[in-house]
Amino acid sequence: MLAYSVRRVLATIPLLLLGTFIVYVLVAISGDPLAKLVTCTTCDQSAFDRIIDLYDLDKPIPERYVNWIVNAVQGDFGPAVSFGSIDAGALVLERAANSARVAVPAFLLIVTIAVALGVYSAVNQYSRLDYTVTGLSFLGISLPTFVFALLLQTIMIWMLEGFGWRPFYVTGMRTVELDGFLEMLRSHVLPVVTLVLVLTASESRFQRAAMLEVINSDYIRTARAKGVPRRRVILRHGLRNALIPMVTIWALDFAALLGGSVVTETIFAWPGLGPLFISAVSQLDLNLTMAIVMLTSLLVITFNLVADLAYGWLDPRIRYE
Amino acid sequence: MSEAAIDAREGITTVSRSFGRQAWDRFRRHRLAMFALVLLALLTLSFIVGPWLSPYAFSDQDFSALNQGPSLAHPFGTDPIGRDLMVRTFIGGRYSLRIALLIAVLTTVIGTVIGAVSGYFGGAIGAAVDQFINLFLIVPSLIILIVLANRYGSGPNAIAVVIALLAWPLIARIVRGSFLQFREQEFVLAARAAGASTRRIMFRHILPNVFGPIVVNATLLIGTAIILESTLGFLGLGVRPPVPTLGNLIAEAKGALQTKPSAALIPGGFIVAITLCANFIGDGLRDALDPTSRRS
Amino acid sequence: MTAPLLEVEDLRVTFGTDDGDVRAVQGLSFTVAEGETLAVVGESGSGKTVAALAIMRLLPRYARVEGTIRFRGTSLLDLDDAGMRDLQGDDLAMVFQDPMTALNPVMTIGDQIVEAVRTHRDVTEAAARDRAAELLDLVGIPEPRRRIDSYPHEFSGGMRQRAMIAMAISNDPKLLIADEPTTALDVTVQAQVMEVIRRVQEATGTAVMLVTHDLGLVAGTADRIQVMYGGRMFESGDTDTIFYGSRNPYTLGLMASIPSAMGRTARRLEPIPGSPPSLINLPEGCVFGPRCAFATDACRTEPALQVLDAATGHATRCHRAAELPALLAARAAGATDAGGAA
Repeated sequence: MLAYSVRRVLATIPLLLLGTFIVYVLVAISGDPLAKLVTCTTCDQSAFDRIIDLYDLDKPIPERYVNWIVNAVQGDFGPAVSFGSIDAGALVLERAANSARVAVPAFLLIVTIAVALGVYSAVNQYSRLDYTVTGLSFLGISLPTFVFALLLQTIMIWMLEGFGWRPFYVTGMRTVELDGFLEMLRSHVLPVVTLVLVLTASESRFQRAAMLEVINSDYIRTARAKGVPRRRVILRHGLRNALIPMVTIWALDFAALLGGSVVTETIFAWPGLGPLFISAVSQLDLNLTMAIVMLTSLLVITFNLVADLAYGWLDPRIRYE
Repeated sequence: MSEAAIDAREGITTVSRSFGRQAWDRFRRHRLAMFALVLLALLTLSFIVGPWLSPYAFSDQDFSALNQGPSLAHPFGTDPIGRDLMVRTFIGGRYSLRIALLIAVLTTVIGTVIGAVSGYFGGAIGAAVDQFINLFLIVPSLIILIVLANRYGSGPNAIAVVIALLAWPLIARIVRGSFLQFREQEFVLAARAAGASTRRIMFRHILPNVFGPIVVNATLLIGTAIILESTLGFLGLGVRPPVPTLGNLIAEAKGALQTKPSAALIPGGFIVAITLCANFIGDGLRDALDPTSRRS
Repeated sequence: MTAPLLEVEDLRVTFGTDDGDVRAVQGLSFTVAEGETLAVVGESGSGKTVAALAIMRLLPRYARVEGTIRFRGTSLLDLDDAGMRDLQGDDLAMVFQDPMTALNPVMTIGDQIVEAVRTHRDVTEAAARDRAAELLDLVGIPEPRRRIDSYPHEFSGGMRQRAMIAMAISNDPKLLIADEPTTALDVTVQAQVMEVIRRVQEATGTAVMLVTHDLGLVAGTADRIQVMYGGRMFESGDTDTIFYGSRNPYTLGLMASIPSAMGRTARRLEPIPGSPPSLINLPEGCVFGPRCAFATDACRTEPALQVLDAATGHATRCHRAAELPALLAARAAGATDAGGAA
């Protein structure tokens, strides 16, 4: 299994290189760092030279990319020019930690709720609860994240106007260290709830479909023919089989959450990777963009591998040699 | 599928009505889907007819009513420079729906062709499509979107094309799976033995069997596209103002959430309504077009 | 005569679908005695599997099951779920058609048998494992102690079906229902699995209800045969009577379509023309009428099941049962004439 993992990781390297190269080229050809200086009347040639030297602008893009990747694998992602030239790698890690503060609780809630709802409504197919869950998940799928987030904010505003008090903060991040536990909680709730609603809606649909397929399968009937109690049939025979196809979905969703949710974090003014990414790309900050892409790619690759290994653990038919 | 249900279905050997007729009958019995179809038609109609009936044009300014909430004269309120938000919402709905339809059609066509080719021929082309899909997990779509919009502008059509170029793997994967499965089946082998050309086998023999999932997913794509487009608009990365898509309207209104939440929530409600309709219709179509989904 | 082990009376099973009610089983009555082997034969769609699942109470909830099913005097359709579970897998067990899908892919064979044992017997895990190994040995799986920890995918089709049988008999059932137990298997393996069922029956004394479409398979196994068509009983009797004295055109058609089932005479295979009826729009009158070579105007009314010989229990559903031997003789003569002319 270790050999398999190593091979899998090695196999993703070309993909990672190609992906980062594409991003590098796209950003590099889109913005000319010299453009800002053209309108600068007080700048002399030395200012231009400094910029050219900083970005290696006198070298072709592929060579610049090679330089970047050589430094990047040594942990040096260069300065983030749009953020006062602080170290891009350090900035990204700091923001990634902030994203994780909402991503981890959101993911745990999503998986728990989606499994429970999906399994329950599949087992009670066509019951009133099944229809309710299905209806709610349709609503959740159809509700754009930003509309839901704005709705939550509006409710908080109304509460503030109506009662002079609101339970949760609509923007900004508060931490235990600086603001205390309660304040931390009040600032984390809305972003987490937003992420949970959106992803639970789709995941519970997948879970329901997976469970339905399982409970209509022959081996479930075999278990019933043995006289095994219903609860045990569902939990012991059904659930494990129905979780297998979910593993990939979980892995991709968790990687996406950890990589920063652009919309949610932007709306709640959360200092995570999402808004940082938008700002980096909009300002064509090459080093910062590349550092973020590198991290999100590694997250996707890592969790894909985790999903594959979990697959092998859950499903004895799959063996990795 | 339980044995009993299979046995029960095997009893149904006479198919007197045509497949399309049966599908429509089944769809009609799907009450939510029918309701969604009617609602979507009404919404579309109001987007088309509404602006004609309104006394205001979408850029007319009413200086006696700046930045107001809903009133009799302006049922959806006005924006900070006195433009009527109802007519702007209808026009916005027009643009959003048009973009979404364009995205759905383009994505479906591209996805179907690539999925069909990679599924039927497999091998290198299939592997290439796989790698391409994997690449998209690494290269964030937002970068491509922003960069392309920088270069080629961000009009409604340009945005639709860019999104379609990013979204086609969604459809390609489904079509490809079906083609992989059908390519080995007897009726295809029979057609090949009878000397049918590859193109004929792909598009006359196999494609009709994949028709159901394609139509269903194209319908669902309309919902996804509306959400994508409005989200981009909201982030300021979509169709550039002054084109008033639903997302742009919400982006314009989000600063005034405190004083006038209706300006953001009303277009938001329209987005939800359209997406819900598309999802319910897609679900109804899934039941209607899947011959195996018979239930009491 | 003591009460039969299983008594089915006027069983009707209906599935509601969008296109109308599917009447899968219509007024089926039969019995199974202790220790005997009853073969239920028919094409797919004849209702034989549905009837078997109805007895096990394993039909989906939307199936309407009416009539009475008595097992050792207990009315199964009146039992609550818990009461039914006490019988399922204990006195009343079932082997399914496709051993590829009927075993849980993520549990070892041993765990699945242990579960069957411990659901009904208050024994330790270790004792149940011993029992499982013993059962695997009985059904002819080599090295049972080692194979007990295998997963289903590590077994061949025949081995899986053996394991399936081992699981079904783990609590010494009084009645073992085997639904097409060999259909999904290779021809060479089919005979082995039938042999396992025979051996199991000898060892445990269980009655077997063998559901199959293959009349040839049951010749050496069954004590009695009942033939089903269109959800109805078409003929029943002891094995010899059915094979050598059938009074039903459908049964005769089934036999004629078995390659060398009898080995009596070298004759051409004669498939039954047409296909089984739609269970939604059943034909008027005799449901086999449209496919029957001997159908007359009388067959526009549905024939009743008539008892021909009370002693052997031979009964048939055919208006022309009495004239059938003469008709067959005439036909055989005609065929010989035609052959001579050619």
